[in-house]
Amino acid sequence: VKNRLKVLRAEYDWSQRELADRLGVARQTIVALESGKYAPSLPLAFKIGKIFGKTVEEIFDADSVD
Amino acid sequence: MNETTNPTARASRRYLIEFGIAMTAYLAVVGLSVWVLRHLVTSGPLYYLIALLPVVPIVFVLVAVVRYLRASDEFTRIVQLEALAASAGITALLAVTYGFLQGVGFPKPSAWWTYLVVMVAWGVASPIVARRYR
Repeated sequence: VKNRLKVLRAEYDWSQRELADRLGVARQTIVALESGKYAPSLPLAFKIGKIFGKTVEEIFDADSVD
Repeated sequence: MNETTNPTARASRRYLIEFGIAMTAYLAVVGLSVWVLRHLVTSGPLYYLIALLPVVPIVFVLVAVVRYLRASDEFTRIVQLEALAASAGITALLAVTYGFLQGVGFPKPSAWWTYLVVMVAWGVASPIVARRYR
């Protein structure tokens, strides 16, 4: 799923490690999410939205889902 | 949440510690059981029981693996389970292949190889699976 995770992370000036720690996941999970090759579960997507103060749709591109 | 409170990072650290303890215990128990079987107990039911003692720390290795998988984040779990599934497939394929070779005269291998092949294949498959998501 295409997403704005990398852009948002840059806006907050967070490293992948920092975002991983805030979400309680591994750094390689952030790498996979940012590449768009891994679609997060609903709970993780909501958690990401909460951290950036945005809705899931504002971060993840619904049109990129097959 | 920082690196020390990140549950996934904590799970990895705990796994390494538990794995290290279990493997140390395994080496100690193997050494002890070999010595006992050579010098103290040479027959009877106790002989077989002592020969099986090293399985106990191996069970703890498996418990550590399960605890690690359950405590990891969803993506890590998916990658590790895909790698584990691949290792099961590779082991099954090797077993069938060698089974046919045994039919034409190849020697009977030790049952030990199964464990070794599963673990090595898992270790090799894990970074390959993770790479597909980069």
